[in-house]
Amino acid sequence: MLTAELTAAGLWQRIATGDDAVAVAQRAALGTSARVAVWPPESLGRALIAVDAVLDELDHQASRFRADSELSWINQAGGGLFLLSDGLAQAIGVALAAARWTGALADPTVGTALVSLGYDRDFAAIDPDRPEPAPPPRPAPGWESVQLAGVMLRIPAGTRLDLGATAKGLGSDRAARAAMSVTGHPGGVLVGLGGDIAIAGITPRGGWPVTVADDSDPAGRPAGQLVRLPAGAIATSSISCRTWRRAGRTLHHIVDPRTGLPADGPWRMASVAAATCADANAAATAAIVAGHRAEGWLTATGLPARLAGRDGNVRYVGGWPDADGRQVAVPPGTHVYGGTVRIGGSR
Amino acid sequence: MDPEREYRGGVPLPQWEDPAAAQRTALAAGRENGLRQLRRMSAWSAAALVVGTGAATAAFVHGFTPAAQVAGSTTTAGAGGAAVGAGGPTTQSSGGPAVTHSVAATSGSGVTTVTTTRTVGGKTVVTRARSAPAYQDN
Repeated sequence: MLTAELTAAGLWQRIATGDDAVAVAQRAALGTSARVAVWPPESLGRALIAVDAVLDELDHQASRFRADSELSWINQAGGGLFLLSDGLAQAIGVALAAARWTGALADPTVGTALVSLGYDRDFAAIDPDRPEPAPPPRPAPGWESVQLAGVMLRIPAGTRLDLGATAKGLGSDRAARAAMSVTGHPGGVLVGLGGDIAIAGITPRGGWPVTVADDSDPAGRPAGQLVRLPAGAIATSSISCRTWRRAGRTLHHIVDPRTGLPADGPWRMASVAAATCADANAAATAAIVAGHRAEGWLTATGLPARLAGRDGNVRYVGGWPDADGRQVAVPPGTHVYGGTVRIGGSR
Repeated sequence: MDPEREYRGGVPLPQWEDPAAAQRTALAAGRENGLRQLRRMSAWSAAALVVGTGAATAAFVHGFTPAAQVAGSTTTAGAGGAAVGAGGPTTQSSGGPAVTHSVAATSGSGVTTVTTTRTVGGKTVVTRARSAPAYQDN
């Protein structure tokens, strides 16, 4: 009944996958799509309410394009000292920890560079082909210039934060945990936010079946891979989805903090599995930015990854299965969560 | 000052000895030896049970599990990505229901792809429409 009310209100749309043992629903959220799958199916209504609450909270905390969000308020202030909500403090803490872990490949201080490139509003509102060139690029100030101590944040003047490398993963982690906590059944939950997927509870046999949708294959062929996720999370970053042009040059939204320009490596899409979705999200972005160093970096982290190249080749790293239907073995441990109360500020 | 060297917690102290206590200790030691033998036998029995169960489980699972992927290995597929539909059966490792169809997709940020298949003039036409809503990147 609860699910029927939610779908009748137009918030959620039920998705028929062909399996009656799970219930799946999807809605537009945070400028992308949110998908929830649960078993037993009767848990769906409660799970959707919990997910809604998490997404709404995250939107008000961390959206760069929502004028009334906490992050927008901080970015518009032009630097200074701020008292954060617990939720945004966690989101920024995760972003800074991800920057430290990835060697600044995924750095939240790329906000100003993104604005300079033209990604200063909702993607749908961006002029897809502006004739004037972007201003000269500048490297990001660097995550170490930001200080976070508990809920106190200090950012230098001129620094804008963008949590794009971790916020969706964080949202999926939060939503999966919240949905699992209210279902009241022995069961399992999967939450995908813009394709960044976290799970909680007991998985279906063999793991949750998930498609790695390689829908930007340069040859235009439908391509992808079905994998099973027995634990943890999967996230994907791509340079093919959000592109626009300035002065005849195609730009995308994954910025290399070292140059302030869109990453220009050999990979168009990176999918990474990790213990948490925020870890996977950060690692996928870092892999795109790392370019030719991505395989080495991912191998060092021990995370399974699938790298799709601009040339159409696909590389499997760290035990990611090279055939359909196999499990992705996710190593335990997180690099972005846990106990960091003071971070940054060394320069 | 090295705190490791200064730490004395957990170091056993010398015990005070008396003859009566020594006799009680000897009797207790005899009982303890008997019990220890019994425990040792129990431990071996338990170990045998564990090994036997593990071997049976391994033999059972082997029939269903594809070859394990080697962590740290890197392989290359040809252009166009992995061979879709080439997979075998998956492990039955958890207590959840059997789910055979994909329930979600991971792909580039926030882009919804709708694939429509229709037949026009006897030919199958596949249309893929993409929409890229705003906000969160990855």
